[in-house]
Amino acid sequence: MFHKKQALPFFLGMIFCFSTLQISAQSDYSNYSKLTQKIKNLQRTNSSSSKLEELTTTVGGHKIWALTLSKGDAKNKPAIAIVSGVDGSHILGPEMAVNIAENILKNHADVLEKTTFYIFPNMSPNATENYFSKLKHYQNGNAKKTDDDRDGETNEDPFEDLNNDGLITMMRVEDVTGDYIKLKEDNRILVKADKNKGQTGKYKIFSEGKDNDKDGKFNEDGKGGIQFNKNFSYAYNYFKPGVGEHPVSEKENRDLLSFLYEQWNIFAIITLGPENNLSSPLKYNASGARKRVVTSVLKQDAALNKFLSGKYNKITGTKDAPVSKGKGGDFFQWSYFHFGKLALSTPGWWVPKVKDSAKKSAKNKFVNYLNWAKKENISNAFVDWKQVSHPDFPGQKVEIGGIAPYKMINPPFKMVTDISKKHTDFILELAKMQPNITLQNLSTESVGNGLTRISVDVHNSGILPTHTQMGSRSRWLRKIKVELKLNKNQQIISGQEITLVNNIDGDSSQKFSWLIKGKGNVQLEAGTSHTGSDSATIKLK
Amino acid sequence: MKINRNILKSLLLVFLFPLAIGAQNSSEIFRAAGSPHNPKVQISFNRYYTSEGLAALSKKIADAHPNLVRRQSIGKSAKGKDIWMLAVTNYKKGQADRKPGFYVDGNIHSNEIQGGEIGIYTAWYLTENFNDNEYITNMLNDRVFYIVPTINPDARNDFMKEPNTGSSPRSGMIALDDDRDGKFDEDGYDDINGDGSITMMRRKSDHGNMIIDPQDPRKMIRIGPDDVVTAQRYEYLGNEGIDNDGDGRINEDTHGYYDPNRDWGWKWQPDYIQRGAYKHPFSLPETRAVADFVLAHPNIAGAQSFHNSGGMILRGPGAQEDLATYNRADIRIYDAIGMKGQKMLPGYRYLTVYKDLYSVFGGELDWFYGSRGVYTFTNEIFSQFAYYKKNGRDRNQLYDFDKELLMNDAFTPWKEFNHPTYGKIEVGGFKKNIGRATPGFMLEEEAHRNMAFTFYHAYHMPNLSIADISEKKMSGGLKEVTVTIKNDRLMPTHASQDLKYNITRPDYVSISGVNVVAGMMVTNADFNVTQEQKINPAKMRVRNIPGNSVVKIRWIVKGNSKFTIKVDSAKGGVVTKKSN
Repeated sequence: MFHKKQALPFFLGMIFCFSTLQISAQSDYSNYSKLTQKIKNLQRTNSSSSKLEELTTTVGGHKIWALTLSKGDAKNKPAIAIVSGVDGSHILGPEMAVNIAENILKNHADVLEKTTFYIFPNMSPNATENYFSKLKHYQNGNAKKTDDDRDGETNEDPFEDLNNDGLITMMRVEDVTGDYIKLKEDNRILVKADKNKGQTGKYKIFSEGKDNDKDGKFNEDGKGGIQFNKNFSYAYNYFKPGVGEHPVSEKENRDLLSFLYEQWNIFAIITLGPENNLSSPLKYNASGARKRVVTSVLKQDAALNKFLSGKYNKITGTKDAPVSKGKGGDFFQWSYFHFGKLALSTPGWWVPKVKDSAKKSAKNKFVNYLNWAKKENISNAFVDWKQVSHPDFPGQKVEIGGIAPYKMINPPFKMVTDISKKHTDFILELAKMQPNITLQNLSTESVGNGLTRISVDVHNSGILPTHTQMGSRSRWLRKIKVELKLNKNQQIISGQEITLVNNIDGDSSQKFSWLIKGKGNVQLEAGTSHTGSDSATIKLK
Repeated sequence: MKINRNILKSLLLVFLFPLAIGAQNSSEIFRAAGSPHNPKVQISFNRYYTSEGLAALSKKIADAHPNLVRRQSIGKSAKGKDIWMLAVTNYKKGQADRKPGFYVDGNIHSNEIQGGEIGIYTAWYLTENFNDNEYITNMLNDRVFYIVPTINPDARNDFMKEPNTGSSPRSGMIALDDDRDGKFDEDGYDDINGDGSITMMRRKSDHGNMIIDPQDPRKMIRIGPDDVVTAQRYEYLGNEGIDNDGDGRINEDTHGYYDPNRDWGWKWQPDYIQRGAYKHPFSLPETRAVADFVLAHPNIAGAQSFHNSGGMILRGPGAQEDLATYNRADIRIYDAIGMKGQKMLPGYRYLTVYKDLYSVFGGELDWFYGSRGVYTFTNEIFSQFAYYKKNGRDRNQLYDFDKELLMNDAFTPWKEFNHPTYGKIEVGGFKKNIGRATPGFMLEEEAHRNMAFTFYHAYHMPNLSIADISEKKMSGGLKEVTVTIKNDRLMPTHASQDLKYNITRPDYVSISGVNVVAGMMVTNADFNVTQEQKINPAKMRVRNIPGNSVVKIRWIVKGNSKFTIKVDSAKGGVVTKKSN
């Protein structure tokens, strides 16, 4: 029936139809290839206001995508970068990032007139694929071979699925030399025995597997890889598993930074990942802020963070978020402490607190999760403890069980659409507040004898400052440039041809005036890449 | 026939020519102590070489000594130039990359050029003395030298070929926006007097605070508060330059600026904390090429980088905040080598960067030591001591030295010019090749002494041998085999920083050819204190073989067959020995 030439478009069409069908009927998170397809479709159907680039290809062979949303000249308007998949166990992030891109393109495309978005949906594709593999386990690294325990051997002690349930959970071994006991509140959960309360340990706990290299440690050197969120330069944890041999050693880390360093228009970076300074803001610590190697958010930035956190909590309607600070080497802290941008981060979701009839919630976070899972009818939240025989513990009672991987970090898929929508709303609100340099109260007056005085207020009409306090220290944020361009027969008697301004606060301005000798027009310009700019042609009197 | 004869003649010439420019007739030469007297490769060490010059010399050395040198590009610079490395060892003995390795580089700061010539001198000296000098022969039998004369070929050339001061460009050649105005390198130096150097600008000024020294018109004298001045007053206007971008400032965005020696991945900090840092650790192609090479060569046990100037032998820590990284056991080794250097290099002082120089993050020597556990020094070549071989600061001595020993070659006399902003000015001063760069006639000595210092350092990298194998019969067909492994040099196979973080894998001591029942490390032979290794006892994992010390390994074996012992250390090399 078909000619060969016709067959290809037909099949492509079919594939396209199927993939659209799949999207509408989506019931679980998208794996790498599905998400890639989604991104490509999204870009294709919105090609005039989006651009898709391959940022790099990882050692594992995955392409890292950079999606730019903008109308017109992307580089010449303030931009927000959204980076997700920073942590391989956070499957929600990549899905959210693509949903946010879709929401903006489909429902709020007008924002792209004034704001550019650079979206990096998944920085850890090798790691997130573990969620979709037959054996589910946390393995947050890329595909690089690593000697995680630094003993000279590589990948010599991986996990083993001893109970063949397709999940890597925990092992508990009955042993009087162990430190753990069952928790009274829910005896599926083990906690450390407290000697001060007269408790003595009855269990040892390990991750599920064998001690393949017989070094007394379990599963300490499997396919570790290097973790994106541990490989950055701020508070880098040297020689720890998964961090790499030096900061920014991995292609995906390096090439993301190369991209970001070249986009001078970025004023804010939103990380969708484990760290959270949106539910509760970073706290200012005077001595940490004074150190040469700064360890605290700076004072004005702390105030700004508090203001934005208030907006976030209101718009997303979220509460009770666990405190989640960067653990060092993470992208979020890098984006503030080493890049100086307005840095915001949220995991998007966390386990809500479940209150019992006495309006109390469980203190233990695992118990709280299990209560919530029960309430939500989530099946397979917990793998019940079951005895196995274990070669490393002959004659001892060994049981496998525990909370299923990924469940506590990622919400059931049906919740993702709503989470994405609320976060889109917050991001749109942020874009509304972006720094915006304009020329106000421009006036000229004749001083006589061929002299004209020009006065202007260079005004930031955005709510956000043009520079974070940290950013005004950084060479990677340009200063606001106020430039008066003259013609040959004109001369500045007073004032500067070019002035560079460190920062203009939100809804604030700085006054300028010049005394010019000559006739004709002069051109006045103010602004820089990440603040927007304004210009005026002024006729000399 | 005629044609053939001509071809033969020219062929003969082609073959003879290299010989003609190479060795001299031995009857014409008398060996000066300590120097190759009739080298295959002739090099003048009283001048400097551009990046292409260094590349050509390294090729000559490699071509002349194929059994001693492998020449390799370890990467490309920002502008695409090869970064040439010479791996020098006796390739006929042992496996090159398994010998204890010594890494040498120079010129990370563009204007700090001597390292290039010292690197070439070292490769030349090693190759030309091999088999002539026992110390050098042993050195190349037992060790491998990785020599990178310049790790900054782009900006080395810029320093030499473009107008610069003696201190510029410290940076590499990637354009950066120093004044944060959105433009890159838009206001650099301008060579107003066209002498190839950036000298000084001065102007006659009734309110100036300088006068010309009436006894030496090259010199300016500062006017004191009580001086009564009748001479013409002058003011200094800084380095030669004009306001290229019309922003009211001069030379505020020159080439660069970043500092390649703030780009290394140990406790790196961004530019607002550590001025000169670029984007992230190893964000520059040159430093990354070195890091990748070093990471791929765990046999490197010692390292040296050459800078200028000031006459210093520097060790870390660079930053006060990193004080805890350098612990006592390693400092003792640093001190032993550093103090020896102070003796070998008159006018040089052995110093610690953070307290004697400045507190700095992201330097090369800290990465080598902190991240790789490699004992590393940075030498700041050349000091004022060299002018008249005496200590003490005398601001006149450079003028005297220029006149008395350099025949006025280092100074451009003052001359009048018209400046677009300043009007009538005078331009003049010391050229870029004086002050920091060693003058020609002293360069070979400077190279030799610094090289000798690296040899002392390289000599004291671990040197392993199997000193003794003893066997003792036990009942039940068992035998006790005790092996003594000796390290007769200063450095351990693992620096204490290395041991703290397990940077380098353990040393393996293995026995083959027999049936091993048990293996243990003997921690006290007299009282028979041992530590058993339960898993895989035939390959004992030894955390460290300390310097000037021995390690004893004991196996209980079954049967009476012959066996072989192998010591396999990443930084200490490989040695094997058969049982008697």
